[in-house]
This record gives sequence, C-alpha cells and structure tokens, in this order.
Amino acid sequence: MNSKKIKPLELNFCGIKFDSPLVLLSGCVGFGEEYTRIKGFSNTDAGAICLKGTTLEPRLGNPAHRLCETPMGLINAIGLQNPGAAYVIEQILPALDFSETRFIANVSGSTLEEYVQVTRLFDDSPIDAIEINISCPNVKEGGVVFGNDPEMSARVVAACRAVTNKPLITKLSPNQTNIADNAQRCIEAGSDAFAVINTLMGMAIDVEKRQPIIGNNQGGLSGPAIKPVALLKVHQVYQVCKAHNIPIIGQGGISTAEDALEFLIAGASAVGVGTALFYEPLILPEINNGIKNYMQRHGIDHVAQLTGTLSLND
Amino acid sequence: MLNQRNSIHIEEAEIITHQPFAGKQFYLQVKSPQIATLATPGSFVQLRCAASLPLRRPLSIMKTHPDGGTVDFIYKVVGKGTQLLSQQNTGSTLSLLGPIGQPFTLDPKFSLPLLIGGGVGIPPMVFLSDQLRKQSKHYNPLVIMGSEVPFPFTPAPSQYIVPGLPDGVIAAMPLLEDWGITSRLTTLQGYPGCFEGYVTDLAKTWLDNLTSEQQQKVAIFACGPHPMLAAVNNLAKAYQLPIQISLEEFMACGVGGCAGCTVPIQTPQGLAMKRVCVDGPVFNGHDVVFS
Repeated sequence: MNSKKIKPLELNFCGIKFDSPLVLLSGCVGFGEEYTRIKGFSNTDAGAICLKGTTLEPRLGNPAHRLCETPMGLINAIGLQNPGAAYVIEQILPALDFSETRFIANVSGSTLEEYVQVTRLFDDSPIDAIEINISCPNVKEGGVVFGNDPEMSARVVAACRAVTNKPLITKLSPNQTNIADNAQRCIEAGSDAFAVINTLMGMAIDVEKRQPIIGNNQGGLSGPAIKPVALLKVHQVYQVCKAHNIPIIGQGGISTAEDALEFLIAGASAVGVGTALFYEPLILPEINNGIKNYMQRHGIDHVAQLTGTLSLND
Repeated sequence: MLNQRNSIHIEEAEIITHQPFAGKQFYLQVKSPQIATLATPGSFVQLRCAASLPLRRPLSIMKTHPDGGTVDFIYKVVGKGTQLLSQQNTGSTLSLLGPIGQPFTLDPKFSLPLLIGGGVGIPPMVFLSDQLRKQSKHYNPLVIMGSEVPFPFTPAPSQYIVPGLPDGVIAAMPLLEDWGITSRLTTLQGYPGCFEGYVTDLAKTWLDNLTSEQQQKVAIFACGPHPMLAAVNNLAKAYQLPIQISLEEFMACGVGGCAGCTVPIQTPQGLAMKRVCVDGPVFNGHDVVFS
C-alpha cells in the first residue's frame, strides 16, 4: 500500500497522475500557454492539457470564416492549423511548465505514415501522452476519414503503437455508425485510452447570401448542444472499455460540475472542457469544487470511484 | 511566452450609458476599472451581448477614463450579437474580457500621423487621437473619418485649417476639436461640410499637397471595412508610407487558444495565418494579404 494519501480529485490515468479529472481539449487552448494570459486562470486547475492538433509539416488551416456560434453551440473549421511537429517539439514544449499539469500531444495526419512519423517525434519528447486524432472533421484527408472506418482506425492505432511506449489515447468520432465496435478494434490494436467524442459535423447558412457561413462549408459542432450525444457515446464506449480497464476522457459540451459528473457516472475517468472555456475562462476551479462537493455529499473518497457507477433503468 | 500571463482581465461591467444614434449605431459606456486602466489604442474587448448568446463579441475601444474606471464604445448593429446588445439597459452588467491584442505603435520619426476610420472603424481612431493629443509636442495628426450612415456625433465646422483640401470641407468631430486634433469627414451621402467621396480620395488630396519632405513624416493608421482597408493599403503602397491597420474576424476565445480568427499575413518565412485576437488586431498593412 502506498502510504501517501491520494487527494479526492487525483487520478491515475494510464500511469500518469492527473491532479484533477479535468482535461483541457485540443484545439481550444492552443499550445498550452494561451489561456494563462487571463488573470486568474491557472494550468494547475487542469489534470492535463491536450495541445493543438499537430501534423508533420506546418499547416495553414482553412480560410475564413472558421467559426459560427449556433444555439448553445459553436461550429468550427480551423483545419488543423499548426506549425508542424518539429517546431512544436523544439520551440513550444521547452517553454511549457510541466510542473503545473500534464501535457498531451494531439497527433494528426493525412496518411498513415504521417501519423506514425509525428507519433515517433513526440515519443522522443517530454510530452506525457499522445492523443491520436482520427476524428478531425475539417480536413479532406486523414482525420475523420480514418476515424469513421474501424479497420482504418485500428491500422492507425497499431502503427502508432509500434513506435511509442507513451500512453496512447484514441480520439473517437461521433460521426460513425457504431462507435463501440470501433473502440473494440482500437483496443485490440493497442489503444491505452479513448477521448470520446470529437465534434459532430454541422453547417450554418447565411440566408441572404445563400452561402455557408463557414469558409470550409461545413465544420464540427461543439458546446452544450452536443452534450446528450456525447454522453450516450461515452456510455456505449464504456461498455467495451470496462472489461479491459481502458479509461475514457469524456467530452462534449461540459460546462458545469453536474455535466462533468454525468460523464464520470456514464463511464469516463476524466472529463474534457473545451468550448465552455470560451464562455467562462475561469470555470475550472468551479467545476473541480462542484465535483468535490458532490463526492463529499455521497461519501466518495476518490474520483475514480465514480466512473461507470450508472445504474440503468430496468 | 510566460511573460504574457495575467495580461487579460475578466470584468462584470455595469452599463453607465447606452444611447442610440441614427443608422443603428449606439454609444455604450461601462464601468470596467481594470480595462480602463490597461487598454491602449488598438486593443479591444470581448463582450457578452446577452446571456442567450454566451460567446463574447469583439468590440473596439473608443476611449478609456482610467480615473473614473469607465470605457466608451460606439458600435453598429450588424448581427445577432450587436442586436441583443442594443437591447441591454443602463444598470445591467456585461461580461468583458480585455484588454486584448497588439495596439497601434507610434514613432516620433513619423510626426504627421494620418488616421483613417471608416464606419465602425472610427472608434479606435478616436482612442489613438486621445493618445496623440497627450504627445502633441511630437505629433501633428490629421484624422479622416468616413461614414455612409449619419456620424455617431454631431459634426461641427473645424477651427483648424488644412492646406490643400477643397473649399467647404470643414465638418469635424467636436471631441477631437476640443482635443486640438484636426479631423475631416467624408461621405457619399451629401452630409453638410463633408468631403463628397471616399476617405482615400481625401487622403490623397492631402498627401499631394505635402512637400516630399513632409510626406516622409507620414504614417497611416486605419480601421474600417475590408474594401476601405484594401484601398488605404494601396494608397500607402503608392506613397511608400508605413501603415498599421486594425483587422476583425469572427472570434471565439479571444486569447489565442482556438485559432478561429486568423487572417493571412505575409512573413519573412512565407504566408502565415495570424490570429486577429493576440497577434493583431493591429498589423503592418504591408504584410496583410487582401483577397
């Protein structure tokens, strides 16, 4: 027995210690430092931070407009703008304060080989874990094209698995027929964990111009509007994960402690916060405290004890 | 990057004054002491227009009153956000994030600043004028403002003569007059005392009347609609003048996290997509790629 007392919100995620179950989501918080511009915001309030999707070569991303607010949601089509893996590893990672939180790379690519090359580069870096983004809806090749095909998903995971021993988190797309089947295949291919879900594909139209508002015509919908969808997907993926002890970062529209608790109960071990930061940048302590208060009220010592405690109706 | 920490503040700002003008324009003053103290010309705020629309909208700052802790804006209703904002009453609070962004930078080498504001691009030029009047020893600016809806102030005849401008072009912004800053107005709507034409036409007339020695002291600062900025940029190119322009784009986080508000910018390393929020909103006009 480890005599050191584990704090209520602390958890072991694939062998890494998260100080909180809150994970800041890829694409929402740049390369880890951006939100600290805001007074009162601290990376220490997050268990981990997923960096912006990174490809082998720099990418300029999509043309404007890249964003459109919709009822309780946001459509985005950034198009994986990033400075390339070498720049991220050589210029950005050394400037991050790894004593504050855990940093997770988000690996993207247009080809299987690109996923492997980027994973290999991050494997040889101080990054704590690697998220494989096979669910980006805003690029023409790779991304969701791979993620919606269980066979291809598994091939990407297996190929990345072969080049790294760091924890491998597969980010699953909600835009597919059977997310649980896909998860099963990815577990067999060597995925250590899942991020569930990426954005839902969506569109918004300017009726005066009769044109899509988003430059890329379509984009990924995030925010509170997608929470019920995300919750069900987490529940479904958990059914295949629990036997293998594979943790899930539940994500999609979480903006309150109650939202976070729903995901934990549905089967998530950690919970992602993304779009909610755009609304309330200082929301993290509030969600952490809300989870803690709930645990106290229900006599739960460690947040991990909440995972998958859902009891279904008969 | 660590030195950028804690530079942006969140304030729940009470509406002190909210007053409509013609052309769906509004004057808004809020109590926001931190932003009032820290904002500089060109920086902006993200403002929540209504609870039903949780994403804040970017709004440029027209003036700050650090002593009273207030910030002034003029905005025009252009979409859902500004429509909801226009319905907010005095006494209610708005959630502000700011100040954000790279401001305009002045250089005493360019002692003849030419400020050009079009429509909703007028407010940041007022803020910059406020800074220039405090350094009147170094600068002798001209402010040109254009609008196709009635100006959000009552124009008055200028007490300052600008050599070379057509007769009768005498309308000015009274606030700038009070500050000792020369301004002129342009429109295609025939408003009295205004120059009949584009801001760039009047700017060109003024530039052509300067000696070449004077022209070398001119730096342009501009904010306004995209076509106007492109035209002003071309003017700066033609006269080989430095130019700083303030851009806008749909925005989500406002702190550089989402890369949603990017614009194409030419850099020594090639074309880059720069974030309007934290890399801008003020860019070197010569680097901006206009589509």
